Amino acid sequence: MTGKKIERGLNERLDSMGREIVRASAANEMEADRVTASPFLYTRLRSRINTEREGRKERENWLALVGVIWRAVPAMALVMIFAFVFFLSVSLSTRPAANFSDEALLDARDAEVEQMVFADNQSLSSDDVLGTILNEDEREASR
Amino acid sequence: MDEMADNSDPVVREALVPPSVELSDTELVTRARAGDEEAFEELFNRHRRRVALISSRFFRQPEQIEEVVQESFTKAYFALSDFSNQQEASFAAWIARIAYNACYDELRRSKRRPESALGEVSEDEAAWLKTSLTTGESDMEAAAIARDLAGKLLARLSAEDRLVLVMLDVEGMSVAEIAKLLGWSASKVKVRAHRARASLRRVLNRFL
Repeated sequence: MTGKKIERGLNERLDSMGREIVRASAANEMEADRVTASPFLYTRLRSRINTEREGRKERENWLALVGVIWRAVPAMALVMIFAFVFFLSVSLSTRPAANFSDEALLDARDAEVEQMVFADNQSLSSDDVLGTILNEDEREASR
Repeated sequence: MDEMADNSDPVVREALVPPSVELSDTELVTRARAGDEEAFEELFNRHRRRVALISSRFFRQPEQIEEVVQESFTKAYFALSDFSNQQEASFAAWIARIAYNACYDELRRSKRRPESALGEVSEDEAAWLKTSLTTGESDMEAAAIARDLAGKLLARLSAEDRLVLVMLDVEGMSVAEIAKLLGWSASKVKVRAHRARASLRRVLNRFL
């Protein structure tokens, strides 16, 4: 009980001293008056306001640029997606023409093209040829 | 004809009144918002001492006091459109709120700067403090070393602790007033004040 009273008394004394210290530290009016009496205080303030204004303008420009990028990036992505989808759809629809090469178009025939041409020419089977010859013989014989 | 039409606008009409005529703070704010630099200068001249006094509660160096004055009025300049006479009691209260917040920011900044530390308490100061604490004599004002010592002791507290203690013990503000000014809750102010006193007691107890 006595210990608590002593502690409380000590705390009160420390608090009281603490208040005095805070007040002593804050008693600084002369410095405040000296600062406000400075003849160029407002000039320095104006200069600071102008600097801040320029800084704000610069920040606004940057923000505007970021805003443009913010809108442009999704738009460009969308355009790219559309372009890719269009490319896919076009390439799928023109697949049958894939055998038609540039070389064939430019008349740069290679062995395969020749072969294909020959294959078209030799499309008659040997039976057909034989049948044609026999028909010719029969026709001559009937004359 | 056009001029007459322009003058019908209350803002323009107000702006046409010469600055030499005594205008209220609210009228000056309206004119400053419209781009009248002289009106803002008049507001600055009216309230600079109050802002400097608030700053001097926390800082000893003239450079720091001026820094807070400039910071406060720069913030006020760009926030003039936010000033509403209905919400704030007056322009004086509004600029005071900005000044306290600027002090708080500067206190936090100076805490982070190691070169701003005021140094250790000297042996003489410690002996003087011990005598004051044991005898209970509180002649801090009379002592030549009191202010330096007070600055060194308070530099050991956090920015929030120091802010609350000055507002309570020097400005004599109530918890509700501090809460409104700083935008804190009343319970936060009470808790902070309790902790601040405990911190200061711990600091002083070392010299007993």
